[in-house]
Amino acid sequence: MESAGTSRARVARVARYLAPKIVQFVFVIWATYTVTFLLIHLLPGDPLLAALSVKGGDATTTDPAELELLRAEYGLDGSLWSQYWGHLASALRGDLGISIATGQPVGDMIARALPNTAAVALLALVLGVASSIVVTYFAYIARWRWVRTTLLQIPPLGVAIPAFLSGLVLVAVFAFGLDLLPSSGSRSPLSVVLPAVTLALPVGAIFFQVFSAAVLEAMASPYVFTATAKGLAPRTIFVRHVLRNSLLPSVTILGLLIGYLAGGTAVVETVFSRDGIGRLTVDAVLARDSNVIQGIVIVVALVYSVVNLLVDLSYGVIDPRTSAKLGGAPVARAKDEAAVEA
Amino acid sequence: MTDNLLTVEGLVVDYASRAGTTHAVRGVDFAVPRGAIVAIVGESGSGKSTISQSLVRSLAEGGSIVSGSIVFDGRDLVRLPERALRDIRGSEIGFVPQDPSNSLNPLLRVGEQIAETLRLHKKLSRADAAAEAVRILDEVGIPDAAARAGQYPHELSGGMKQRVLIGIAWACTPKLVIADEPTSALDVTVQRHVLDRLERLAREHGTSVLLITHDLAVAADRADLIVVMHRGLVVETGTAAEVLGSPKHEYTRELVAAAPGLSSDRLAARDVGVGTASEALTLGFGPRAAATTPNILEVEHLTKTFRLKSAGVATAFTAADDVSFAIPRGSTFSIVGESGSGKTTTARMVARITAADSGSIRFDGDDVTALAGDALRQLRRRIQVVYQNPFGSLDPTMSVTRIVTEPLRAFRIGSRSQRAETARALLDAVRLDPGLADRRPTQLSGGQRQRVAIARALALGPELLVLDEPVSALDVSVQEQILQLLVDLQAEFGLSYLFISHDLGVIRQVSDHIAVMRLGRIVEQGPARIVMASPAEPYTRELLEAIPGRRHA
Amino acid sequence: MRILRQPGIVVSIAIVLLTVAVMLWPSLFATHDPYEGVAVDRLQAPNGTYLFGTDNLGRDLYSRVVYGAFLSLASAGAAVLVGVVVGAVVGLLSGFVGGRFDFVVMRFVDVLIAVPSILLALIVVAGLGFGPWSVALGVGLGATGSFTRIMRSQVVRVRNEEYVEAARTLGVRWPSILFSHILPNSARPVVAYAALELGTAILAVSALSFLGFGAQPPEPEWGSLVSAGRDFVSTAWWLSVVPGIVILVIVLAVNRLARAIGENR
Repeated sequence: MESAGTSRARVARVARYLAPKIVQFVFVIWATYTVTFLLIHLLPGDPLLAALSVKGGDATTTDPAELELLRAEYGLDGSLWSQYWGHLASALRGDLGISIATGQPVGDMIARALPNTAAVALLALVLGVASSIVVTYFAYIARWRWVRTTLLQIPPLGVAIPAFLSGLVLVAVFAFGLDLLPSSGSRSPLSVVLPAVTLALPVGAIFFQVFSAAVLEAMASPYVFTATAKGLAPRTIFVRHVLRNSLLPSVTILGLLIGYLAGGTAVVETVFSRDGIGRLTVDAVLARDSNVIQGIVIVVALVYSVVNLLVDLSYGVIDPRTSAKLGGAPVARAKDEAAVEA
Repeated sequence: MTDNLLTVEGLVVDYASRAGTTHAVRGVDFAVPRGAIVAIVGESGSGKSTISQSLVRSLAEGGSIVSGSIVFDGRDLVRLPERALRDIRGSEIGFVPQDPSNSLNPLLRVGEQIAETLRLHKKLSRADAAAEAVRILDEVGIPDAAARAGQYPHELSGGMKQRVLIGIAWACTPKLVIADEPTSALDVTVQRHVLDRLERLAREHGTSVLLITHDLAVAADRADLIVVMHRGLVVETGTAAEVLGSPKHEYTRELVAAAPGLSSDRLAARDVGVGTASEALTLGFGPRAAATTPNILEVEHLTKTFRLKSAGVATAFTAADDVSFAIPRGSTFSIVGESGSGKTTTARMVARITAADSGSIRFDGDDVTALAGDALRQLRRRIQVVYQNPFGSLDPTMSVTRIVTEPLRAFRIGSRSQRAETARALLDAVRLDPGLADRRPTQLSGGQRQRVAIARALALGPELLVLDEPVSALDVSVQEQILQLLVDLQAEFGLSYLFISHDLGVIRQVSDHIAVMRLGRIVEQGPARIVMASPAEPYTRELLEAIPGRRHA
Repeated sequence: MRILRQPGIVVSIAIVLLTVAVMLWPSLFATHDPYEGVAVDRLQAPNGTYLFGTDNLGRDLYSRVVYGAFLSLASAGAAVLVGVVVGAVVGLLSGFVGGRFDFVVMRFVDVLIAVPSILLALIVVAGLGFGPWSVALGVGLGATGSFTRIMRSQVVRVRNEEYVEAARTLGVRWPSILFSHILPNSARPVVAYAALELGTAILAVSALSFLGFGAQPPEPEWGSLVSAGRDFVSTAWWLSVVPGIVILVIVLAVNRLARAIGENR
């Protein structure tokens, strides 16, 4: 079987596969920015006045000249159209404006908050995914029905428990009660543990639902029967045949999980008094700080889209069926049967 | 007394589900002598697949062996601990599964899937196992074995995948190979080659083979002993000559009579019962003008090319190439071909579902090639379609009556009660129990659903029926009933049929004219008797020779 | 019905019915006034008089939970309703019409799904002001994206089924196909998903109220009850834990029923 096409043709094929995805990437970020902008500016009330009144209360200035200066400083001057393009242009340059509430550059605020959130989110993701794979493995291997039934009760619980409840309980037990782990703050490395565990529960549960469904489908499939008929042990069958085939569809929900984590951190950071994107968002909404809200939404959309793009790309690498289309190897047609019985 | 490698006695297997317990196998005895090929023949629900799965103790969810013994080479497999059984699976008992497209792990290379079992049972090193895998691929007849070993399953055709599965089964030179419907999903010419290969391997290695099949003709061709099963019990055992020549059990006699490969005559029309005289039945029938031409349909130079796009690369695929034929009124014109021959595309163009790229279609003397809008809709009353898949062509949320009267509603024919009457008459005509009128399709069997589809197609009184593989998805005994029904209806209502099938045995039973298609072109066509008895083209001859059962016809 | 034989389902149905009753007729279930507290009885653990204990102002937690039921749950219900109605209509049109329209609509749906729903809700709340109905709208907007996607994929699936093509060859016109074939066959998965979304919506709404964006005190919305109890976690744990457990139990019941609908219908 010769591989069709020269390497230049291959590059062209890969580019054709990538191009629509990159266009989508750009579109999602642009559209998110636009929708947020519209929501903030088209809803009743002047964003600047709203933010200032939260900040200063009755002492808010109403002098038009001063207001004009402030508008220019926060980029809220000019027509809606110019504001829209102005913000977009600056964002592309990396300048996300100034926060009305704190006066600091939005970019700096986000850059400070992001690592904290990322640490918790990543740990939660790893813990959640790993534990759901382990639970699925034992549920599959288990010889007794009651083990499987018990294990399968955990995920619905993980999905239903509100993060603020589990967070508070964990704090009460491990921090105040047993004094093992820090209950708040972002400084100590151990402070990541409790928040991550809190988020790992729902993340793991959601991943479990998709993953175990894929495992169930794989287990019932004919190729697993072939593997059994070969005399392979259940452990080998799970690892070599079932696992890889189930992980493939499960990878697609990584994007969804990132989205969930982005929202969940708001609660978790409040419960554990940590600095992070979630807290930043909550404070920004309370303060009607439109520039910060805008900046956060763009960053979150960026992260989400990057993850999805990476997932799409990895599919092309991991799944031989997709990468074959990219590599140009033609799928054999039924008519080469005739050559066989020569 | 031949030495039996496998002896099954009193085997009882049940499936427990939320709906209750199903007794799939109800006390079965049979034996497989050393070096022999034994075939278990049965239709769906006979329990034959359950038996094959019980032998390796890999039953589907809810299945359990209730009682009985399976003595293999002196050991009772039912009572063996799981560990010991795993040693036997793959090394002493090989298994060729049914569905080649899904029975190989899509993420592992083909050579590796063979090497895996070699490393496990024969304790070969990685390098040795890989080399041996290539040799096995070559032995099962895959050309360029070394290159193929590094490919993934989706890069192989159906027949090749099945050979890989055969290779996996024979890799550790087992004493017994169980082949569960190994060729059902394949084209008939491929089927023949694969079965040839299987037989050759068995004879060369002295392996016993247990062949599970629904096709009595295949069993007759290949097996030394035939075991006939019906509803979980063995009804007859014997050699091919005994079972086919002098069948003792009534069910066996039915099977022999119904097997399309074994019988050779065109079915004769019998009386339908309710027919054109019934006012209720003909409610939706339009007025029929006097016949102006001898042919109801004339097709000339039909061509259809599909443009495919995979990963942005555009390729053109000519499905039908310069197809021309004519259907005389009241006759059955059959198109036979394997997958990719273009027969379905041609049928869809005739039914005006797919638009032809070029060529002309004349129906009852009028050019209908470019009809559109309301004119096309009116044409639909005269040309109807019956699809292959009885599970897909009926809406699962509608009752039988609603399904059958849908065309009447579409053309606003009759009142509600009149339509209900018509539905009853139509169901009567297709010999379906009127008590099923309120059921949903999911509550009906495949044969019953197909009858509903035929009743629906008749509702508007068409003149031409396009039938795309109408019986391919049905059990053999049910096939015969539906074919007989179609023949009867044709006589009663003066219908013309365009009958598409891959099965020459089926075509033989209903056709007046036959066209053979290959790779989009008509290779040969003519009166049925002539094409079947003295074919002019080598491809037609190959097709005829591939029909199983010719050794005993 | 055989379904009723499973104990999990029976318990879940009972919980849901009880919850609806409490939502609609709180006065039947409450034992004390939810807004007026008896200062002397403050911070009591659960006992005979005060079933869930009292808070720092001496208010009966049980009665506050009872009166908070409507506030906390009705907005979740409204959110799902918004999501289903808008999502189903848009998804149906998009899947049925196909082509460029479908493409454009789905790209916007991608955006709705890209923004995490809590974030989306926060933005809406930022614009419209705090309160349970802004929260409902925000959560509902987020849900709309998923519903549109699900409805559309069902419509596309059914559109490609053989029985739809068969209907065309029988002379059935597109509007009839839409109503008699496409809608009935697409509806079931959407209904199952709606039930599942209800549980998610309850969690989202209570999370937002926990953060302070829902009904303002002294309204006893459950999320804000948990938040108010944070200061007393070591001394009066019941103030946070009990409302949290109530939410947990209700979501468990709703999800259990949603799974049953998805598997059986």
